[in-house]
Amino acid sequence: MRRTLALFASSLVLWALVTQLNDALAGARVYLFAGALFVAFAALTQPHGAGLAAAILGGLVCDAHAPVAFGLHALLFAAAHLALFRIRDRVPRGDNVSAIVVVLLTNLALFLMFSFTQISASPVPAAIWPRLIADLVCSQVFLAVITPWFFALQAGALKLARVSRFDA
Amino acid sequence: MPFKRFDQARPFATLTVIVIAWALVPTAVKTFSRASFFELTAPITVAASKVRDLQEYWSLRLHTTNELIQAGQDAAHIASKFEFAVSQNQELHAEIARLENLLRLPSFSDYRYEHARVARRDFSGWWQRLVIRKGANFGIPVGAPVIFTGGVVGRVAEVRATTAIVELISSPGLRLAGVIEGDDRPISFQGGVNATFAPPAGIVEGVPLDIIATPALPKRLVTSGFGGVFPPGLMLGTVTRAAIGSDGLFQFGDVQLDERLGSLTEVTVLVPLGAP
Repeated sequence: MRRTLALFASSLVLWALVTQLNDALAGARVYLFAGALFVAFAALTQPHGAGLAAAILGGLVCDAHAPVAFGLHALLFAAAHLALFRIRDRVPRGDNVSAIVVVLLTNLALFLMFSFTQISASPVPAAIWPRLIADLVCSQVFLAVITPWFFALQAGALKLARVSRFDA
Repeated sequence: MPFKRFDQARPFATLTVIVIAWALVPTAVKTFSRASFFELTAPITVAASKVRDLQEYWSLRLHTTNELIQAGQDAAHIASKFEFAVSQNQELHAEIARLENLLRLPSFSDYRYEHARVARRDFSGWWQRLVIRKGANFGIPVGAPVIFTGGVVGRVAEVRATTAIVELISSPGLRLAGVIEGDDRPISFQGGVNATFAPPAGIVEGVPLDIIATPALPKRLVTSGFGGVFPPGLMLGTVTRAAIGSDGLFQFGDVQLDERLGSLTEVTVLVPLGAP
């Protein structure tokens, strides 16, 4: 429980940071999507149950602020968590570069899946892709910069909660 | 071997169980959970907004006395212009009321003006929304029109305890009826594709064939007043292009919206009088 709460608290910090950045970038019509960060650390290093619960809770926070069916982010994050958890033994843990690569690939998949669920609302679905691609590029650059810090933040949160950093 | 096969499929089985379990959760529980998660994070949004206000306050404190005197004089000039406009407005309202009585016309809806600070902007390619720092605590209803000095901002989409979410007119999910200024035929307006580093945009459909709009000769699009949500005559944007549609009966076109929509800090909610 403490592990899940520590991970969820870090997710709230991430959510607050990303929403404030999006607020600042609104005038330039740039939007950052950082879905993979809600999932990656927990999926790569934490026990299955606690990590999945934290990913779903993070998804529900995103859902509460978006005009989408409640649970869409949560289900996408859960799917991403399960996929990452399955391959985590083949990914070097504690290595920043591999963590960034995993986060970027996960974010790409989440962004595309989310876009396909939302694109029907657009009056001109084909014309929206340049904007989405621009947002995706900005998001990936942002994630590449922020991932090591956020992984360290989550590790710090676990230390504060007095639970081990890695799943035994 | 069968156990190994199941082990490989376990993540998919887990996901299927989660999806089925989520689908079986009653809507009331989902609605309550959504509101709970929103209210859990609302203080973060409001606190960040108040910190920005404080930053602005301290940056304004750095202005010199001469700059403040100049700003005061400018404000006095604007106030005198507005005083004149207010007196004219009162006369026009009295005239409208007299004509309504004379012709036995139904009167326009009346509104209470609720000014609200913008707490957060959320402008993705999928939707464009604002969070404002007033909600059910100020009697703001869902669906109320939201305006600013440049015209229509959008419509209140959700109301929470101390905040409300406004869907912008640039959002693809928002549709409303407009008219070209000086014309009385309704046109369908919808939020459009908002390109990166470009002004917000919308689209129009059902434009009569005799209306010509080009970038050199744009037409002002205003609210029609039909449907009773938005009062008539509020600025929506400028129709910069109109081309004949595939049916040949109407035109469709592009609307350029006010660039300030992306940097709003204060808006006004029109709360219909008599709203619960």
